[in-house]
Amino acid sequence: MGKKTINIPLGSQHISLLEPVKFRFECENEKIIKVDSDVGFVHRGIEKACTTKFKYDTVGYVVARICGLCAITHSLCYTTAVENLLEGEVSQKVKYLRILLVELDRIHSHMLCLSHVCENAGFEAMFMQIMGDREYIMDLQEKITGNRIQFDYISIGGVNRDLSSELIKDIKKNLDIVKSKVDEYIDEFTNNWSLSLKFQGIGALSLEEAYSFNAIGPLARAAGLATDVRSESNYLPYDEVGYKMQMASDGDIYSRNMVRLNEILNSIQMCHNIVDGLPEGEIHTKLKGKPNGESLVRLEAPRGELMYYIKGDGKSMLNRVRIKTPTFASIPAFMEVFQGSNYADAPAILASFDPCISCTAK
Amino acid sequence: MKKIESTIETIVKDIEKFYVEKTWSFLTLNGVKLDAETTEIQWIFSKYAAMDEVVIFYIEVTQEQIIPSIVELIPSAIISQREIVDMFGIAVDGSSKGLYLDEDSEQMPLSNCGI
Repeated sequence: MGKKTINIPLGSQHISLLEPVKFRFECENEKIIKVDSDVGFVHRGIEKACTTKFKYDTVGYVVARICGLCAITHSLCYTTAVENLLEGEVSQKVKYLRILLVELDRIHSHMLCLSHVCENAGFEAMFMQIMGDREYIMDLQEKITGNRIQFDYISIGGVNRDLSSELIKDIKKNLDIVKSKVDEYIDEFTNNWSLSLKFQGIGALSLEEAYSFNAIGPLARAAGLATDVRSESNYLPYDEVGYKMQMASDGDIYSRNMVRLNEILNSIQMCHNIVDGLPEGEIHTKLKGKPNGESLVRLEAPRGELMYYIKGDGKSMLNRVRIKTPTFASIPAFMEVFQGSNYADAPAILASFDPCISCTAK
Repeated sequence: MKKIESTIETIVKDIEKFYVEKTWSFLTLNGVKLDAETTEIQWIFSKYAAMDEVVIFYIEVTQEQIIPSIVELIPSAIISQREIVDMFGIAVDGSSKGLYLDEDSEQMPLSNCGI
């Protein structure tokens, strides 16, 4: 068969990705030989709004609206950056509660990604099952923060709600249910043909490519690159709550699935450890002063490293709020993975990246 | 967070001398307005497997200057370079406008922020 070059767009509206991003594939028969991307359909100008419309003590609630999936991580990363420039320190209890919410965010975000991977494999029943099970975590988030998504739980100096003993019981109960479900998923993702053999060797990122393209999050760890901000930053006491880095080595869709599944189990264990060993203390500390100087904070969001840089000069309005989101930074790595893959695999590969265009178009 | 000052003439060589692919992760480029004419451009790196070790190379540029590209050394920098072009209206060698804005847009949304 002769070689024929055709151009095929994926997005900005596509059945496999309900987010406004567009990839343009130049294909030689079935093989993708060149990729171009367009991520700028719905840019919202939030960085500008944070320095022109909102005072520093309200910006945390603005950045929580960047993303519905990792709202807690955004507001926490910003808040920590501000707290670094103020006088005083938050209590250990606050740090534990913050980890609890960040890890609940990670669990439901990974479940969403895994469900989309199933959907792209044509396994609709599994998609429905995971989305249904995800509600156990969404319910917990609502009970803890008052909201299912876009929680205004983190505030400068603390958190806005404490845990009651009844709520702790609910947390433990729901986490146990989700753990048993995830054990079942692992069996399916390992042994079911649609989710295991079909994805092995597909959409692979090598370790060398992961270094070269500065891959982050599950994408990097699935390729064998041992990087996770939870082990590279001490703003939160992850070493006290049972954090363990989850790794794979093949860098393909299967490996990314397994890393996410194992991370859910580790997050569940951390949440148990947190509620079992929650320190006594206040949930809010009054911090003095206004941000003056530069501060840079990194946190591990579900999709990888999230970074906030802020600069203030002692006034209520900040001079600069720079937000580096994981999906935005990973676009070059995504394009590298697509190159050389079959076009038919592109939707499944894209789903396994777990892209968040809401974060990207901040 | 360690900041290292450089110049527009030497920044690529300085980063080339510093950057070891398996030791440092390139995070992003950042721009900070210092006054109406001057912007501080930052190249931010973090060290793998090290606790909160972040290094920032920075230079000061005016609106008319062209920032050299580091894409040959760090391919993933292309997307951050394009963001600087769109947001600050400062040219970066080999990086086209149009990531967020229209290619012929005259807007530069962050060019007057924080001053």
